[in-house]
Amino acid sequence: MKTPGIFPAVPALVLLFAFFLFPVVRMLGYSVDAGSFEWYAKALGEGLYLGVFWNTFQIALLVTLICLLLGYPVGFLIATTTPGWAVLGFIFVLLPLWTSVLVRTYAWMVLLGRNGVFNRWLIDSGIISDPLPLLHNVTGVLIGMVHVLLPYMVLPIYGAVRRLDPALVAAAEGLGASDWRIFWRIYLPLTANGIFAGSVLVFVLSLGFFITPALLGGGRVIMIAVLIEQEVRQTLNWPFAAALSAVLLAATLAVYALAQRFTQSEART
Amino acid sequence: MGAEWGAKWGAKSPTRRTVVSWVGAASAFGALRPAVAQTEPAKPSQIVVNHSGGAMGTAMRKAFFAVYEKKYGIRVVETSPADFGKLRAMVDSGNVEWDVTEIGGQDAIRATKMGLVEKIDGKIVDRSKYPAKAQSPYVFASSVYTTIIGYRSDVFKDGKHPRTWAEWWDVKTFPGARSMRNHPTDNLEFALLADGVPMDKLYPVDFDRAFKKLDQIKPHVTAWWSTGQQPAQLLLDKEVVLATGWNGRFYDIIKKGAPVEMEWGEGALKQGSFVIPKGAKNAYWAQKMLAEMSVPQAQAIYATELGYPGLNLDSLNFVDAKVKPYLPTQYLDKQFWIDDAWYAENGNKAQELWNAWMLKKA
Repeated sequence: MKTPGIFPAVPALVLLFAFFLFPVVRMLGYSVDAGSFEWYAKALGEGLYLGVFWNTFQIALLVTLICLLLGYPVGFLIATTTPGWAVLGFIFVLLPLWTSVLVRTYAWMVLLGRNGVFNRWLIDSGIISDPLPLLHNVTGVLIGMVHVLLPYMVLPIYGAVRRLDPALVAAAEGLGASDWRIFWRIYLPLTANGIFAGSVLVFVLSLGFFITPALLGGGRVIMIAVLIEQEVRQTLNWPFAAALSAVLLAATLAVYALAQRFTQSEART
Repeated sequence: MGAEWGAKWGAKSPTRRTVVSWVGAASAFGALRPAVAQTEPAKPSQIVVNHSGGAMGTAMRKAFFAVYEKKYGIRVVETSPADFGKLRAMVDSGNVEWDVTEIGGQDAIRATKMGLVEKIDGKIVDRSKYPAKAQSPYVFASSVYTTIIGYRSDVFKDGKHPRTWAEWWDVKTFPGARSMRNHPTDNLEFALLADGVPMDKLYPVDFDRAFKKLDQIKPHVTAWWSTGQQPAQLLLDKEVVLATGWNGRFYDIIKKGAPVEMEWGEGALKQGSFVIPKGAKNAYWAQKMLAEMSVPQAQAIYATELGYPGLNLDSLNFVDAKVKPYLPTQYLDKQFWIDDAWYAENGNKAQELWNAWMLKKA
């Protein structure tokens, strides 16, 4: 079959170029306003901004790990269960995606507070005597963000498990491999692409969060998007906002490149 | 109209001389007509008013927009939230979507300096009943609001609640979790007041002194709020027992029967502001909207809904006596005004120091 070439993709490419690439380049132009790198010096030289970048990456990494640990079994289960259960699983995974992030964040505030549903239940059933600090700290932020981002991990993993040839598993079983060995030697390497795609999606989306950390973190958990938003909307220092964004973009691309190298070398072994 | 007149008079078969003079008069009349049209441009089908949204939009519709739509037959489209960055982007790019927009007090001053707003037309918008300081040529002062202490009335009974910022800082006499705004404005002033600075000596703010005092309260603040609804919600859920917040948000839950009360002492007064963006498509009809928002009866409706009284001082005459105790204008002498001009100059610096202070451990 003759491949259709680049032409069918042209509309999407034009769209990407006009509404994504061009604005990004323009933004980068803002950041070196008048040919000076003073805003980069500020972004990379002041403890405040470095500290917030570090916070942001730590939280994004934690969210990604938790999503992977929770999301892999879910994606695996949906991919291997009967079609009926799979539909139900999909409903549970996808339904939250259609609810506004703000609404879900407020719901978590009701659930996780000192007098929230969860703490009251634990106290009433005698499991604990003092409420657990689940809200207005990093724990609250992680819970809220994982909830929002979990579907982005589950779906690529589901896809990867579905693509896996069941004959391989049957062959391994026939040759007497243990379940753990089958998982380790077949499932994990052959679903690495799904894990990679899900992790990158979750990680990159995490970096840009600011409503959830601001509300569930009680103001204590500062992520870089909060500072960029301040520079854009409040301070109106657009060159500095652009420089902060550029640093974030560069760091994200670096992480992406590293992860891709890692998964590719994994897949080859 | 001119043609109709001409036909009428023409029927009288006038002499040549009178016809000539009529022609002169008619052409003079014709020359006049475009001038009239310039002061009253064609009506658009709609104008766009941008504001903070939420309950405020509902109250504005009830108090101002409904009347405006009926009076002029122009639909009022609402957008939100107020966004200084967007305002600048619109004016810079020449694509101004808003005809009127709400704007923060210090941002209004900066926007005026940056040439982002239209002058308010004194012939259309009557502000003669406004206090002199609320008559800026470029900024329409819509209402007064204040950041004050809200407290759980089931925890602090019999009038034993913090009444000053020194008492707010006194965690031994008034124990319990607190919530304050995640922003330098208000908190720097509250810290200085707690440290003994008198209300009329707050500006210029002594940053070192303020942040040192804030260090003391930091461990007792459970949540630093970032949206106006949060403090009310935190008090309702008893997540905290004391919260700073905007009077209208507390007024709203008190009206609904929540065990919450307000303390007006040493509150931080601010004015709500609206501007017409430079190059607004319907600037004339935007002026008419501001005129509607300056009507005392309409401001009274707005104040009754939200607890934010207008700056037309006559408006208080139209407010029910039961509502008056909940309006910040009743307690002006116990409170102080946030100095927007100082923040227009120093706001960025204050924000940066605030971020660094928030990030600091302990």
